[in-house]
This record gives sequence, C-alpha cells and structure tokens, in this order.
Amino acid sequence: MSDVAISLTSVRKSFGATEIIRGVDLDIPRGQRHAIIGPNGAGKTTLFNLISGRFPVTSGSIALNGTPIDGLAPHEINRRGLSRSFQITSIFPRMTVFENIRCGLLWARGYKYSFWRLLGRQKSLNAESERLLERLNLGARRNLPAGLLSYAEQRALEVGITIAGGADVVLLDEPTAGMSHSETDYAVSLIRSVTEGKTLLMVEHDMSVIFGLADVITVLVYGEVIASDVPSKIRANKAVQEAYLGTEAA
Amino acid sequence: MSADADSLPRVTPAAADMVTPRPFLREHWPWFVAILIAIVMPWFFFNWSTGRHSGFVLTMLSEIGLMTIFALSFNMQMGHTGLLSFGHAILFGLGGYCTAHALNAIKDGGVWLPTELVPLVGGVGGLFFGILFGYLATKQRATAFAMITMGMGELVAAAALMFMGFFGGEGGVSTNRVTGVSLLGASYSSSWQVYYLIVVWTVICVVAMRLQTMTPLGRMANACRDNFERAQFVGYDPRMVRFYQFVLSGFFAGIAGGLYAILYEIVTFDTVAAPKSATALLATYIGGAGGFFGPILGTILVVLLQSGVSLLSNAWLLYVGVLFIIMVMFAPGGIVGLIAAHAPIARIGRLRELVVPYIRVLIPGLMAVLGFIALVELASFTTIGASQGKKLALGGMAIDTATAMPWIVAAAALILGGFWLRREAAAFRRRWDALIDEAKAQGAAA
Repeated sequence: MSDVAISLTSVRKSFGATEIIRGVDLDIPRGQRHAIIGPNGAGKTTLFNLISGRFPVTSGSIALNGTPIDGLAPHEINRRGLSRSFQITSIFPRMTVFENIRCGLLWARGYKYSFWRLLGRQKSLNAESERLLERLNLGARRNLPAGLLSYAEQRALEVGITIAGGADVVLLDEPTAGMSHSETDYAVSLIRSVTEGKTLLMVEHDMSVIFGLADVITVLVYGEVIASDVPSKIRANKAVQEAYLGTEAA
Repeated sequence: MSADADSLPRVTPAAADMVTPRPFLREHWPWFVAILIAIVMPWFFFNWSTGRHSGFVLTMLSEIGLMTIFALSFNMQMGHTGLLSFGHAILFGLGGYCTAHALNAIKDGGVWLPTELVPLVGGVGGLFFGILFGYLATKQRATAFAMITMGMGELVAAAALMFMGFFGGEGGVSTNRVTGVSLLGASYSSSWQVYYLIVVWTVICVVAMRLQTMTPLGRMANACRDNFERAQFVGYDPRMVRFYQFVLSGFFAGIAGGLYAILYEIVTFDTVAAPKSATALLATYIGGAGGFFGPILGTILVVLLQSGVSLLSNAWLLYVGVLFIIMVMFAPGGIVGLIAAHAPIARIGRLRELVVPYIRVLIPGLMAVLGFIALVELASFTTIGASQGKKLALGGMAIDTATAMPWIVAAAALILGGFWLRREAAAFRRRWDALIDEAKAQGAAA
C-alpha cells in the first residue's frame, strides 16, 4: 500500500469548450487533513466530483491508495474506501434518522442486496448505528424523518452517513456552510473526532474552520493550484493574498 | 432512549419494533382480524336454504385477493423504489399464461405438481420475465423508466396477438384447474376451495412483501427513491437495487397472475394489456402509495367498483376515473394518507370534535355526489341504456329520461350541493387547522 491516499496527476476537466480544471497535480498523504480553498468558481467542487467519480476526467489520472480509479462508478470508488458529502445537503429525507445512518453502514458490513435478512434482527448492525447516532448527538431524533431535521442537524447527519461505512478517505464539501457560530464550532469538533486517523479532504470557505482543522491547505484559482502548504505559510503567501484578497476586495 | 424521544412521532414501524419488542399478538392483531374477515366473509353471502355459496361474491373476493398481491407488487416498484411502471401487467399476465400452460401439462399427466403449488409457476414465470424486462428497463429511472415500461407493455400486448402457440391469439389459453393432483385432496371444482387457496396465497405474499421492506434491499430501495446519488456514495449501485426490486416484484405479480389463471381458467390478452396495468396504478394511488398497506385498501375499493358498480351502472369506469382525479388532487397520500392525517388529533384525544364538522360537510357532499351520479346516469340511460333497452328506475318508480324534470333536479342538487359544500368545507378547514395547531403546540410542549 502506498502512503499517498489520493494522487492527482495533471487532471483536466472541460465542460464543452470551457476548461474548469486546468492541469492539477496533487498528492495527499494518508492521515492528512487537507483543505482546498479558493474563490468562487475556482473548480473546488468540480475537483471533488472528479475524485469521487461523479464526473469522468477529460484527461489525466486519479489514484486512490495507489490504484487508479479513472472511469469507475461512484459506488465502486466508495467500496474502495472513499466517501463524500455534498455541498447541498444530501440525505434520505423520507427515511428516519436512524435508517439514514444504517443505510450508510449496510454495504460496508457486507449486507449487499440481501432480501432475506431482516434488519430488525441484525443486533450488532443496529447497535453500531445507535452508537454513531449518539456520537452525532442525534439520538433524540432517531425516529424522525430526516427531512424534518434542522439544517445543522441534517449536515451532521450527512457527515454521519459519510463516515458510517468506515471509509478511510473522506471528502467533505463545505460541511459548515450556512451554519451559525455555535453550530460551526460543534461541527468542527464533530468532524475532528470522526475523521481521527482518516484522510480528510475538504472544501471550505470559513477560514476559522480551515485554520482550525487543516494540516495542509491547497489554494485553487481558476482550475489551477497556485499554492499547497501548511496553514502558516499559506497565510504569508503573496500569490495567495493577491488571488484571494484581490477578488474579495474587488 | 430518553422520554423525549418516546414522544416523537413514529414514522416507520420497522424502526420502532426494533427498540421495544412487543408481544406478537398485540403488535400484529390487525393482520389476524383481516385474515379472519377474509375467512368468514363468504359465509355472510351463503344461501342457507339452497346450501350454496354466492358465486358472484366468491369470485369478487377472490379477485380482491389476487389483485391485492398485484397492486402490492406494483407498489414495490412505485411507492418503495420510486419507479412508475406503465407495463406492470405484463409480469402478471405472463405469469398467468405460464400457469395456464402448466395446468394443461399437469392435466395431460406430463408434469406432476399439486394445484396448491401451481401459482408458483406463475411466480417463476414472472421472475423470469422480470429478469428479462427488468434488465432493460432498470437501466433508467424516473420518466425514462416509465416510458420504457410503457413500450414493453405495448410490445407484449402486440406479441400476445401474434404468437398463437404461447398466447393463443384473441381466444387466449383455456385451462382446467381440476387436475386431480392435490396435497390436501381438494378437487378445486367448487369456487369456495379456490377462494381459500387464494386467501392462503394472498396472506403468504402480503407477509413476504411486508417483510421484504425490512431487509437491506427493501431499505436501499427507499434510499434510492429518496436520493439515488447518496445511495451511490454509501456503496450501492442504484441500478442493481432497481433491478433486484423489479425482479422480486415480477415474482409476486406472476403469482397473482397464476392465481388469476386458476380462478378464471382462461388467460387472455387482457391480462397483459394496458388497462390491467392501469388498475394496479389506480388501486395504489387511491389507497396510498406512501405506506405499505395503502394498495390493499385501494384494491378493495377498485375491485368493488369494478365488480359491484359495473353491474349497476354502465358508467362505472367514469366513477373510477373521477375518484382517481379527486384523490390525486385533494388527497395525494391516498386513503391511508387521509387516515394518517388524523393521527395528531387522535393523539391529543380530540377526534370527537371533528364529528359535527364531518357531518356538516357530509350532507352537502352527499347531495352534490348524488346530483352528479344522477346526471351521469341520466346521460348514460339516454345513450347506452336506450340502445340496450334498459329503463331507469328509482325505488321501483320509472323515470323518463326524456323529460326535463329529472335533469333539473339532478343539476340543482349538484350545483346547490357544490356551493353549500364549499362553504362548509371552509368552516371544516378552519376547525381542522385549529386542532392541528393545537396538536403541534402540545407536541412541542411535551
């Protein structure tokens, strides 16, 4: 096994004539918490969609734990140990909170497409779901349809579904977007605890979240990496300040 | 679990019954009541002086049984997986054809299979064609899936008239259920024996389909319905979930078709045609697709309309259509949805306060409905009825449809009833909203 969790080699992605990702090379070592920042339209979410197999790359190659995953369907990539959340909350709204979590566990625990095993009888599976639910602080909500949860609770639930299967590479797309200060603080501590020992790749706008969580920050501007370094060096980087503050100030 | 969590509404019994296992009978008593009703029902129509069952009632009850299986198998796709099929009857009908051929083979002595197990032939047929058609159709979801199934329905219906050997052309395939091979020594020459055979199979299938919703596949079907992309990112291939669900649904639809072949002893092109598919859709929508039990209620209602009202009225199909439109417009959750809407009010114990408002909407409602029915019947008797030589009569009193009076009375009842209903409905709405608000406030306080 290689010690690089995610490796991107000159990855390019075009939508029609527009090139959104313009040659990205990036290696994320195992166990690192890595944040991608950049102004709006820099291609951060597109990069996520390429890594997770939602879109195919136009050229270049992506490897997960040393094996190429180009052309694999999202569920195949997921089975190899990569899981993600979405920028717009993506849960199972009509199912209960508990079942949302349990769905996140099913494949990883080998249930596959079984239609002969009753879920109510799977003691260890249910106990594991309950434990995760408590960890997410959603125990009191377990029988509520997930669509009725508050926004912050839905985000927490999505993080829960994402990490439930035990994927060792976790992609979170703006996990704290739209949250209040206290909610953000809680989300950060939750993300920190559930991604312990895992490789985390996240897109985030909230600088306090990034500097609180990330070991390494990559700055993406117009589909190109302009810097990738530890937070203190990124903060001092001239090109980053220009790209970032330049657009912010404009 | 905390006391707080207990007060939250239980949405799915599947989730609830894992936490607190309750005594089997106390939890499942409605099932036993339903089975008991199914068992004693024919005896209410038993003619004690001649010692005969009512053939009409037995056939209708048998039809309810097999159509229940059919509608529930349809809902395995629609309600549970979010797949709207316009060609579900092909799985039903092909199962029926397979069964008819099997019965003929058993009769000829070529194959040994007791009649009790013959519906399984239909199930295997439905399973086989489910694999065949499902493989193609489940590559798509949503609208594309609906279009493909519609095309398949047309395809099979056309094939049924072309391939004489299997489908028997317009005449269909006739068979004889009295094969002389039985595990129980029953001949199945009388319709009550067939009815109880159908009851047993219906119970088995309903229980099996209910349990299937509580399995990993059943739950992931819901998950793919809710959000197929999320399902992909927990490791499931939504296409395979759809496929397996489709195939299983085909198995149950095939069993229903097998029972159909045994009941009527003939399988024709109607069983694969679009109106049959539509029946499942109607029953599911009218009963409610959201829960498990909705299609059962819908089937009972639709079959009663089909078998009962069709005897009384030429316009029965129109009533089914109007009922369908009204349900889709005003009660998208179906009958089950309407019942479930009362749950919060029942929980605060104030259901009684709705009795008077209900009576107040019922009177003008009944007036408008009767006015509407009278108009439809007047119209149908002046057109179809006249050509059939029928005369409209009410309580033994003949009504001349050529005079203006009955038309005026009917139209007045419809219009006045309609306006009156609108006023009462608004008042009902206010009372209802107030009670719901109160229920919410109490729920929040608790």
